[in-house]
Order: sequence, then structure tokens, then C-alpha cells
Amino acid sequence: MNERTLCALASALTLATATGHAATPAKSISVSQFPKEAKLVEQVIVPVPSEVFAVLDKLGKPNWPEVLRSQKNLATPTGGKEQISLMLGVVIAEGFVAVEAENGDEVKNIGNSVRSLSKAIGVEKAVSRRANSIVEFADKRRWAEVRKELDLALTDVRQAMMELNSESLAQLVSLGGWLRGTEALASVVAKNFSRDGAELLHQPVLAEHFRVRLELLSGNSGKDDLLTKILGGLQTIRPLMGTEDGSGITEKEVREIGKTCGELVSAVNAKAK
Amino acid sequence: MKRDFFVKRTFLAAFAVLTLLSGAGTARGTIDDALSFALEAAQPAVKEGFTVREEYWGGDLPAGQPKPIAHQLFKGNEYWFWMGTDCKGAKISVHVYDSAGKLAEDEFWQKGQKAAARIRPKRTGTYYLLVEVEKSPDERTVWSLAYGFR
Repeated sequence: MNERTLCALASALTLATATGHAATPAKSISVSQFPKEAKLVEQVIVPVPSEVFAVLDKLGKPNWPEVLRSQKNLATPTGGKEQISLMLGVVIAEGFVAVEAENGDEVKNIGNSVRSLSKAIGVEKAVSRRANSIVEFADKRRWAEVRKELDLALTDVRQAMMELNSESLAQLVSLGGWLRGTEALASVVAKNFSRDGAELLHQPVLAEHFRVRLELLSGNSGKDDLLTKILGGLQTIRPLMGTEDGSGITEKEVREIGKTCGELVSAVNAKAK
Repeated sequence: MKRDFFVKRTFLAAFAVLTLLSGAGTARGTIDDALSFALEAAQPAVKEGFTVREEYWGGDLPAGQPKPIAHQLFKGNEYWFWMGTDCKGAKISVHVYDSAGKLAEDEFWQKGQKAAARIRPKRTGTYYLLVEVEKSPDERTVWSLAYGFR
């Protein structure tokens, strides 16, 4: 967001909240007065996976072993840093599914994959402790702790990348995690469809946030087939996630979101040519 | 001092960024204290089972210029947002609005250098956190925001 946009946005908000100052907040703010270019996509808080899984815990007991995509071997780094960053996000998200499935072997495998992928992009040191904790807690079947360590692994790896001035790669880790998380979520919701469940997929601000970030990255890094494919996928799923709210997301749309995200995850995991 | 930045960092990195931007010494106290106030505000909720996310957001703002931050919230969860500042005499606030711009929080409070808002979202979707320095003895006031969920 550039300075001009921010100034315009701040002015709009100052006007909109002028009557509601001091202790009493304004009953409403004029979102429509936000300048068109101020989509706020750069100032979006991307939730940690635990936030989604916390809701899923309350919705019932899905058949997580069915959702889990078993990794027989360690994830092997392939492609450039962009692809490996995406893979890392996907693997961490798979860790959450493995925790839900209470599959200790799989979680341990994922902990080691996190280490291997991190090493390939130079952030192993930052996540080594987390990877060890993931394996250790999985051994003891302490699932709540594993989930917390996975959240922190995601945070640590993104942080380490930002310290290496690779904020765009950090975004790709988040994107990879979001794609696999959304695929898993869609799969769970589709298996036992409910409006409440489908509404969890109403995440247009995140789809838009990642699309804009990816466009910027694609522009900077030249043509990249994988990034172009993901960009196309995000444009496909964005309207399926509902515009005004998520109450109207249909079972068909849930399946379509899951299918598209699944294809993108496969592309991320595909061996680079 | 004129800075307009929005940082999303873990505690140590936030410290590093601020040190780079504003020189060592003053920045440390500033972000350290702003975070401390926000996390102090979080303590009662932590005792009630809220998980505090280990990333923090912050920057500095002039008085009377609210800043919107978009956030994806999920129906079924409950959230607390805590804001802090190191500036004595400043009055800060954080409020939560839904995607249509309607005030959506269930509760809020302001106490000294801390402010907070709680929401149990009625719908899953985009919400706007509006952080504001309502008044301050300084030209720009450093703030920090943390949140928790259960």
C-alpha cells in the first residue's frame, strides 16, 4: 500500500469515525469510503492453522485419517527456493492433519521433512528446535503440544526468511500452508456438508491477499510456471468462497475449492523439470 | 521523528526492525514496553484458556488517525485483541468491525496504556481491526497489538 493510499484511507476513516470518538466507538465505519486501491491486502493478518482447527474441533469428529496424505518418505526438496518454500508450507499444514489423525509416525516424518526442506533454503537453524520438539511430542502423543510447535515452526520459518530479506518466500510458506489447509478443510466439509462448515471456507480476503502477493512476486521473478498456475487457481477459487458472506457456499462449490486446491498442492509437490 | 510502518514480527524481530529504523536505545524501550503492556492486558484471558499468538503487530501513529487492519475471523472461535503503548498519557483504542463496517465486538475496554476488544464472530469472514491513538503528548505514538483465541 503506498503512502497516498494510506493517507486517503486514514482520512476516510477519520471522517467516518469522527462522531464516535473517545470512549464510545463509532457504531459503523464506512468501508465503502476506502479508496478502491486500498484493498488492505498488505495489512492482512493471516490466521495460524490452529485457529481453523480450533473451530473444526468444535464442529464434530471428522475422519482425519482419511484426509491425511501419507508421506512414505521424507519430503525431497525440488525446484527453486520458491517451490521449496511452498512445499514447506504444505508439509507443515499436513502436520496439522496428522495431529488430528493422531498418527505419530506421520507427524515424526513431517518433523524430519520440515528439517530437510528448511535446510534446502537456509533456514534450518531457525526451525531445528521446533522440528525436534515436533518429533519428541509426537513420540509422547502429546497432540496439543505438537499443534503448538507446528504453529511456531510456521512462524519461525517465515521469520527467518524475513530476516534474510526474503519476505516473498515467507509469503510462499504461508501460501503453501493455506492451500493444503484449505484443501483439507474442503475435504472435511464436503464429507459431511453443513452450512456452518462451508462457511469456514469464506476467506476471500486471504485469497485476494495471496493473489496480490503472488502477482508482485511473479512480476519480480519473471515467468514461473508454478506461480502462474497457482495464480490461476486463486482466481478460480476466489468467487467460490462467497462475496458478501459465506452462508451461500454450496456443496458443489466446496468440492470445487477442494479440487482446485488439491491440484495446486500436487503441482507444488511435483518434481521440478 | 516521522515513521509510518506496520510490522508483523515475533518479539525479537520486532525489536530488530525498530532498532534499524530508529536507532538503538530508544526503540528497544519503546517496542519492548508497548508489547509488555499489550501482553499484560492479555493475562486474564490467558488464565481463561485463550491461546496467545506468538506474533505481534505494531507501528506508530499520530493521534486521531485510525488504522485499519484486515483479519480473517472464524465463527465458532472467540478472540481477544490487546493493544499497548509505552507512551504515558496516551489514550489508545482497538475496535472490531465486520466486513460491512458495522461495530462487531462484544466487549471493549481502555485502561491507561492498554486497550482491548473481544469478539465472538457471528459469521466467518473478513473483519477490520481499527487501532487508534486517540490522544497523545507525542507527535507519533508507538503501539503494539497481540491477539488470542479459543
